[in-house]
Amino acid sequence: MDLSLFPQILLNGLMIGGIYALIASGFTLILGVIQVFNFAQGQFYMLGAFIAIAVVTNLGLPYPVAIIVALLATAILGALLYFAVIQWTTRSGFFNTMLVTVAFGTIVAQTAMLSFGSREAVLPPVVPGTLSLGGVTIPNGKLVVIAGAVVVMAALHFFMKTRIGVSMLAASENRDVASLQGINPKRVFWITMAVGCGLCGVAGALVAPVLAASGTMGSTIFIKALLVVLVGGTGSMSGALLAAFVVGIAESFAFHFVGHLGLLVIFVLVAILIFFRPGGLLGKPLPVPGE
Amino acid sequence: MKTGTDITKKLVFAVAVAVVLALPWMTGPYTTQLFILTMTYGMLGLSFAFTIRVGLPRFDSAAWWGVGAYTTAILMTKADMSFWLTLPIAGIVSMAVGFLIYRIAIPRGMMVFLMFGMVIALAIQQLFGSVEFFGGWGGTEVIEAPAIGGLVFDGKRELYYLGLGFLGFNLICYYALMRSRIGRSWNAIGQSVKLASSVGINVVRYRMANVLISNFFLALTGSFYMAFSLVAVPATFGLDKSLNVIMYVIIGGIAYSLLGPLVGALILAFVPEYMRVAAEYESIITAVVIILVVIFLPEGVLGWVSGRARPWLLRRRPWVRSVGSKNKEPESG
Repeated sequence: MDLSLFPQILLNGLMIGGIYALIASGFTLILGVIQVFNFAQGQFYMLGAFIAIAVVTNLGLPYPVAIIVALLATAILGALLYFAVIQWTTRSGFFNTMLVTVAFGTIVAQTAMLSFGSREAVLPPVVPGTLSLGGVTIPNGKLVVIAGAVVVMAALHFFMKTRIGVSMLAASENRDVASLQGINPKRVFWITMAVGCGLCGVAGALVAPVLAASGTMGSTIFIKALLVVLVGGTGSMSGALLAAFVVGIAESFAFHFVGHLGLLVIFVLVAILIFFRPGGLLGKPLPVPGE
Repeated sequence: MKTGTDITKKLVFAVAVAVVLALPWMTGPYTTQLFILTMTYGMLGLSFAFTIRVGLPRFDSAAWWGVGAYTTAILMTKADMSFWLTLPIAGIVSMAVGFLIYRIAIPRGMMVFLMFGMVIALAIQQLFGSVEFFGGWGGTEVIEAPAIGGLVFDGKRELYYLGLGFLGFNLICYYALMRSRIGRSWNAIGQSVKLASSVGINVVRYRMANVLISNFFLALTGSFYMAFSLVAVPATFGLDKSLNVIMYVIIGGIAYSLLGPLVGALILAFVPEYMRVAAEYESIITAVVIILVVIFLPEGVLGWVSGRARPWLLRRRPWVRSVGSKNKEPESG
């Protein structure tokens, strides 16, 4: 093994892990609070990347503004998904609701393909140059992604401590008791959808200067986020955070050594983990709707 | 009066069978091809509707479909086997690999099963694409069409009847299984896992049996797919196909586990064909239709039809009621 590549692979793993952490925590948040399996999550990630690229290259605005625009746009779209579709389908069951999010994701993905084109797009590096650290060169762009992910996760952590965050947790604990305490479930639900989808939009905007954006980037990352949720335990936020970095680093190494079969290696590892630790690394299994 | 309805039912059934048998002689080769595809997708939908009876939504139907197709293709090209001999082997391979994976997933409940399914869907596709033995992303081909004696299944009509044979076998097996003792246990699990385990049903073992049987038939469908497409490409067996399979079932009506998938596949195969829209807009329109169906017809097209037709029949002919309620029982779950 070439030791000089080791820090590079580790850094890549940390970067991918940060992105997984954002998407997976958005996913577990929505699953835990509204009990909706949001399949459109990956498409919001793709949309975030394309919006960031469009804002920077077409409107000429600075990159931080692009991140905020991507966050707001995907959050609004997430709330729209709740108001237009999900609130009418939750009554007809967990499974039907999930299918509707699949369909909504398809609409988002196809519309994005038609309007942004199916070719790959990439932003010019925001912070060009490299950082030399003890003989190891690190591209600044990747550090920016990691830093951005950490900042967003910290913001999410403090958001969950605010009044609305606590009422989200209360609604996920027990919906009926929460509404008895004066929490408006509908308000909590649409805010949860907006936050969960906005997290994906930010993730997409963060990777736009580093990875090439394409119309199919959403569905692959969603499956990886599911792996993260499986490893972290369904319904556990801190478990998802830990698992995101574990999976990200493991994937980075696996892809370096076995190429595209890396996904299979990861899958086998996850299967072995689930076999011995059914609740994932940290989490307790979530009560499954309908069972 | 009862005999009257029996005769009507038999007549309707006979006419339906006659129409299905005569279809390839009434339409052109292109439409026949569409019907063959409908039957393939309908069989995939049947397998999905089968596991949903025990409360397990599977997102990997296309992956096991692909396992069947690839097993047949590789045995036919590399081991020079006849098509018919590969059928049971494909089924057994799919069951054996499935057993290893589901040993982990099924005891963990529905949510883990569901997520596992999606990951399997991606992993198996990657396996077929990345390993040289399976022919890579370009896929693997068979040259030889299946044949019995002098009858070669190479024309559209012959393939249509071959598909009809596969579909009939699927329907008969699923119907018999659903009516058997084990089928009643499955229904109990589907209604309430807690209740079923409290009356002494081993939920994990029964679910495993159900999923493995479904795997077997998915692989058979894959072998049939090889018979008419003659080429297996990894892109065919992706997660998007599994999602389409679920849409057939939802559109047809999820409570109708035998007729629902077929009706859904028929609608989704023919409606876009006759709407003549650009391919880019087709998936958007399908998605909008799915959302509208789930919001406005949560019981699917068949549920809507029977909800509409039954009161009308009841008003005109009160004696239909007993038959109607008898029919309803095995369908609802």
